[in-house]
Amino acid sequence: MTGVALSRWTMSYFVAALISLIVAECLMVAGFGYPAAPIEAPETLVLVHIVTIGWLSLLMCGALFQFVPVLIARPLYNNTLPLPTLGCLLAGLFALLLSFLQIAGIVPSHPACFVAAAALLAAGFGLTLFNLGRTLWAARPLPLPARFVVVALLSLGATVVLGIIFTLVLGGIATVPHLLNVTALGLPIHVIAGLGGWLTFSAIGVSYRLLAMFMLAPELEGPTTRAAFYCGTGALGVAILGGFAAVCASGNVIMIVSAGGILGLAGIACYGRDVLHLYRARKRRVIELNSRMAGVALGNLVATLVVSIGLLIAGVFGKHVGVVVFLIAFGWLTNLGLAKLYKIVAFLTWLECYGPVLGKTPTPRVQDLVVENRANKWFVLFTVAVWCAAASLMLGAPLPFRLSAGVMLLATVGIIKQLLRTRRLANVQPTLRLPKGVRPPHLLYCWVQPT
Amino acid sequence: MTTFVDVDVRPTLRAGGEPFGEIMQAIGTLKPGEGLRLLATFKPTPLFHVLGSKGFSYVAKELDGGDWEVLFSPSAPEQAAPAPQETPTTATPDQSNWPEPVQHLDNRDLDPPEPMVRILAATESMNNGEVLSALLCREPLFLLPELAKRGHGWRGGFETDGKTYKILVRIGGAQGAAA
Repeated sequence: MTGVALSRWTMSYFVAALISLIVAECLMVAGFGYPAAPIEAPETLVLVHIVTIGWLSLLMCGALFQFVPVLIARPLYNNTLPLPTLGCLLAGLFALLLSFLQIAGIVPSHPACFVAAAALLAAGFGLTLFNLGRTLWAARPLPLPARFVVVALLSLGATVVLGIIFTLVLGGIATVPHLLNVTALGLPIHVIAGLGGWLTFSAIGVSYRLLAMFMLAPELEGPTTRAAFYCGTGALGVAILGGFAAVCASGNVIMIVSAGGILGLAGIACYGRDVLHLYRARKRRVIELNSRMAGVALGNLVATLVVSIGLLIAGVFGKHVGVVVFLIAFGWLTNLGLAKLYKIVAFLTWLECYGPVLGKTPTPRVQDLVVENRANKWFVLFTVAVWCAAASLMLGAPLPFRLSAGVMLLATVGIIKQLLRTRRLANVQPTLRLPKGVRPPHLLYCWVQPT
Repeated sequence: MTTFVDVDVRPTLRAGGEPFGEIMQAIGTLKPGEGLRLLATFKPTPLFHVLGSKGFSYVAKELDGGDWEVLFSPSAPEQAAPAPQETPTTATPDQSNWPEPVQHLDNRDLDPPEPMVRILAATESMNNGEVLSALLCREPLFLLPELAKRGHGWRGGFETDGKTYKILVRIGGAQGAAA
């Protein structure tokens, strides 16, 4: 065992992801897509995929290239492959967005765009699955948090396969009746596999380890963690495989997905109990901003579930499904992502710059790379804006939604400014900033020393 | 078909003892093609790495009552052959070569990455060949590449409580081995 090196291209993923988040928020402010356009409109698809592929998936891929090795105490299979992977994903996303704009009639129609989108995204996510899959395969038997990531990666595979089918059918390239049927009925499975399986399950797996690590809490692998894993995996299995079978047999997809939802609720309840235990059993009494804001994100996840159950009971879930998706994407995943990013960027930058000279010369602490007081207000503002935006969506008020999105944009810019200051060591006292032997960090990649 | 030699270290572990020597001794007496069936009170993850570097693959299974059975099978013969120069042929003689630690650190309650900072700071003030001992609350994954770059040897593993990770660092002795 040789420990874990820095992931060379993770910072590039983070930069691309944050740019996508800004673009998505600008579109929301401009009133592009839902709620100004219907939820199934091509404009909404543009917005949704900038958020889910451009922001959340790139963020998660970048984080996994660094933290899967931490989960399994083994190096990444290939530290160079993430760069061409990122190229494929960005090019594929661009082609996909152009394809949606063709459907909307905003740009001239060109079927090759759909094929390119399908091929490039398949290549990008395929390379991600290959690299992380080979890394995980070498570490069997896997610890529990890594098994969450395995299920998340399988869900990513399902999401991408469905997405490719949809793209080829919408582009008029695939005309097999069976695939048309999948496209007509498969959307709930695509959404659940993507948001629930890929993004939420990997966030849960990584958060078990990161929360324990950053709050000095004991690692959990007990019965509730196992129950969370098995319930969650069962829920995804029922929703994705059962849902797919229902589509093929022209059965009731919604019924199957709802059955998975009940198992999923049980899984999230177990996860919630574990997280509460982690916060209570922590040795670090005063927790940092990232752990506080992760707590807010987890609260948002619970609130989203409560809202969803309320909507189901009231029989209006279908009408307000956009609010639920918005809350999962922004209240839960984006809040958690930004909170963890705030810590991860500081930690990786510190390790990259000062690791080689630790003990040889005075160096700053990780916390000297950030100024939490400055970042705190932006995080609070972002959270409040997300709540206001969700309430506006619920009330069917487009203008307050756009105003709230504007505040989200402002807060995101504020957080990104803090992340840039961290990466550039701008918060570190000048006397400590660049001791002899320390090279200033590059924005887009980590300089990995040969061992 | 691999035949397995049984080694039950549960009594040693329950008595608070350290079974590493016992296991390595058993490994040393295996005939070609033989494997080891280890019974322990916890999943001996660090051992997987040690025996993996000696050419053994493993299958771990949790038994009723929380004990673990691990079957270590010899992989391809060339992998089990004497390892590269820097790897000791057996861990036992190498272990006896390491002097008693001159410094002890208990870093279990420190916020990360302070444990790493303190260990690296301590190594800078020590002389070649001296050994540092440190207790941690998790595997120091980001420390190990740094020790390797600086040419220090290290050996580490979880204590029998499964929560405390003990690492020994030998200054200038770049002969990494996990135990």
